[in-house]
Amino acid sequence: MKKLFLVFGLLFLTNNLFANDQIKVQELFVQKIEEVTTIVSDKGLSKQDRNSQIVKTLEPIFDFEIMAKLSLGKTWTKLTKEEKVKFIELYVERMKKSYSSKLDQYSGEKFEVVQLQQPKENRILLDTNLVATEKRFDVKYKFYKPKYPKENKNDWLIYDVEILGVSILKTDRAQFKEFLQTQTLSDLMAELAKSNS
Amino acid sequence: MKKYLVISLFIILLFNGCSKKDINTPNETTKSSIQKASNNSKLSTSQFNEDSDLSSFEDEFEVKKESDPLRGYNRVMTNFNDGVYHYFFLPVSNGYKQITNNAVRESVGNFFSNLLFPVRFVNNILQGKIENAGEELGRFLINSTLGFVGFFDPATSEFNLQEHPEDFGQTLGYWGFGAGPHIVLPFFGPSNVRDILGKYPDSLLNPVDYYEQRDYNLLNNNFESFATKTYDKINDTALQDRYGILKKDAIDLYPYLKKSYEQYRLQQIKE
Repeated sequence: MKKLFLVFGLLFLTNNLFANDQIKVQELFVQKIEEVTTIVSDKGLSKQDRNSQIVKTLEPIFDFEIMAKLSLGKTWTKLTKEEKVKFIELYVERMKKSYSSKLDQYSGEKFEVVQLQQPKENRILLDTNLVATEKRFDVKYKFYKPKYPKENKNDWLIYDVEILGVSILKTDRAQFKEFLQTQTLSDLMAELAKSNS
Repeated sequence: MKKYLVISLFIILLFNGCSKKDINTPNETTKSSIQKASNNSKLSTSQFNEDSDLSSFEDEFEVKKESDPLRGYNRVMTNFNDGVYHYFFLPVSNGYKQITNNAVRESVGNFFSNLLFPVRFVNNILQGKIENAGEELGRFLINSTLGFVGFFDPATSEFNLQEHPEDFGQTLGYWGFGAGPHIVLPFFGPSNVRDILGKYPDSLLNPVDYYEQRDYNLLNNNFESFATKTYDKINDTALQDRYGILKKDAIDLYPYLKKSYEQYRLQQIKE
């Protein structure tokens, strides 16, 4: 009987640890949204300043680097050191640019947390709704916990965002893969540089 | 007694595992901060760390080899549609924006959306979503009357009744039909065999579609139908240029749109 208690106790404990992570991620998210809302409500800022401030606020919870690596799939391992550095640089810049241009559409709509899921110990899925006038858009943030904490970054980091079911990373993987079937990596980097300019 | 020993040992081990991790982490950071002195080696440690994280993503992003038998045609048609967007819909919708205000565009959007009620209603029922179908019916009755034949949307603003978009492609998907090969349609854009099959039943329910004279047809011939739909599309682009926004992230347009469409449809079917 006691043994059973212990086992349940242990289960409870691990469950609790999971729950703690989820609370942490949710609090982090809510806090970031509040910061963003404060920036957006400052009407004195130009759109450009506003967007760059938002990107700066959100940077500690995004892991653009791992997105860059994952976007190439198996090809990543075949890159030389210099290519890796260059590719990450281009990809991260593109992500920030793309995020900023999406922010242009943003005018302070609310994000509501729908639910949190923890499919694995080091993965959390944060399901939110972007509430626009009369419509709701499903936006999912996928967090992971790196084995080793990173400099200037949170413990939990976003590695992918799904908007209306469309994953940024899966889409990038698909287009990079097909691109590389007929063209070279340097062509791809040239395209990325072109889209950044 | 022995049992408790084993269990307590197990617990100790468990926590030990945790504390070990805690000790390891600062070690790792001090290591990297030492190596930061020399610029390049910092990157190599972070790379090393992340590669262990990278491998844990393998199953999440592993894609099965997909066949794309119509790729050649699809790529050409994607470029054609892109041209139609750039040389027709974009400039025309920009011009249209100059002569209308947002309230007008929204009302026109509401009007067309209200006309598609039969498509949404029937497909909600076919998927057993009776409650959603009821909400749709309520929306249609309210918006067609109080909302001046659909130009306004009091159902959402006053009665909090939400739209539930469903089409026959989604109905087929709901009942287990696979998507089949990807096909890019002229003007309509990305589609697949399942969704193309769904277009015919939906067109029978669409009052602005025209194939033959029916009592509920609002238009007299195919040309009027085509013109009306084009106008709907222009208005829609002026309201929100989704394609333009989406396209900004494309490096290779065809696979980008294809993958986006597939994921979007999957999500719609799941909902």
